[in-house]
Amino acid sequence: MREITNQIKDIARKLFEEKKIDMFLAWEKSEFDFQSMPFFARSAEEVEKIIFDEFSVHNLSNALLRFRDGKQRIGIVVKGCDSRGIVRLLEDHQFTRDRLYIVGVCCPGMKDPLKAFRNESGFEKTANADLEADKCNDCIQPNPVIYDVLLGEEQPPRMQGERFKKVKEIEAMTPDERYAFFEDKLSTCIRCYACRQACVACNCRTCIFDESRPQWVGREANTSDNMMYHIIRASHMTGRCIECGECERVCPVHIPLMLLNQKLIKDVDSFFGPFDAGLKYEEGAKPPLSQYRENDPDDFL
Amino acid sequence: MKSLLEYMGIEPGRYQTAWISGSEGTKFQEVMKKLVDDVTALGPNRKLRYAK
Repeated sequence: MREITNQIKDIARKLFEEKKIDMFLAWEKSEFDFQSMPFFARSAEEVEKIIFDEFSVHNLSNALLRFRDGKQRIGIVVKGCDSRGIVRLLEDHQFTRDRLYIVGVCCPGMKDPLKAFRNESGFEKTANADLEADKCNDCIQPNPVIYDVLLGEEQPPRMQGERFKKVKEIEAMTPDERYAFFEDKLSTCIRCYACRQACVACNCRTCIFDESRPQWVGREANTSDNMMYHIIRASHMTGRCIECGECERVCPVHIPLMLLNQKLIKDVDSFFGPFDAGLKYEEGAKPPLSQYRENDPDDFL
Repeated sequence: MKSLLEYMGIEPGRYQTAWISGSEGTKFQEVMKKLVDDVTALGPNRKLRYAK
């Protein structure tokens, strides 16, 4: 990790000196050992703060959305999942490739700062605590799919066993059981919209949930409005979700949001032929939900 | 959409979609009849409606 940090610093410094970029997105160390936070370096001096360690869980491709209207050329560090986010942004024409310098890092799996925090808190301290981030357990693409430089050694996919196992378990329940399950999970939602903010696929300029005229979805944090919110948000993510798991990680009330997203990934995969969002970037290629084909199934609506 | 609603516990048959052209009056009639019959059989919807 330290080696990768140094390599990233060297690359960033060089890019700033050659005036190839205006900004470099990476991480810096925060107060505690287990806190890394997104960091935007704007000069060669600031590069010294950059760090890449096992707590660099954040998906930085989301931060690019803030600069989509600007002209800055941006260097960015991506892990496997983040690079899929970049492919999605390029496919949606939210960003142009020539403004980006992508440093890809083969990701050995990240640790969850929240778990580390609990472990450090003094109440739950265990010596060999499993701090692995939940989102990394279902990872199918730890290696970046789009990059200018690749650092680290290629990693095998971390996902063990059958894909969509949890989704299939829920599908096997009766409708009433499923409703009870989701009602129970989603009733705790406090509608903080952290899942939306953390999501790279959520790139609408005006969000349906912010509109008040007309107000499409009730804003109260009650069970039925919460369920409507999550149904709508999940269906908007159809064919866009890159499985970075950030929504689930940032959720303050631990709603298993990836259960919804994975269901839709599974559906898109079965309705529109083998497809995973953002696994490959080809100039001009369109994901299934951005184009019309005559043999599209009727049932997807 | 349909499959997501069913996944979240809405009964199969309560939500239906169909492609009907403006010139397909009979098809519209058939689809609506089937929809009404299906939903009547399921009874009133209580899901997604409670404002707790």
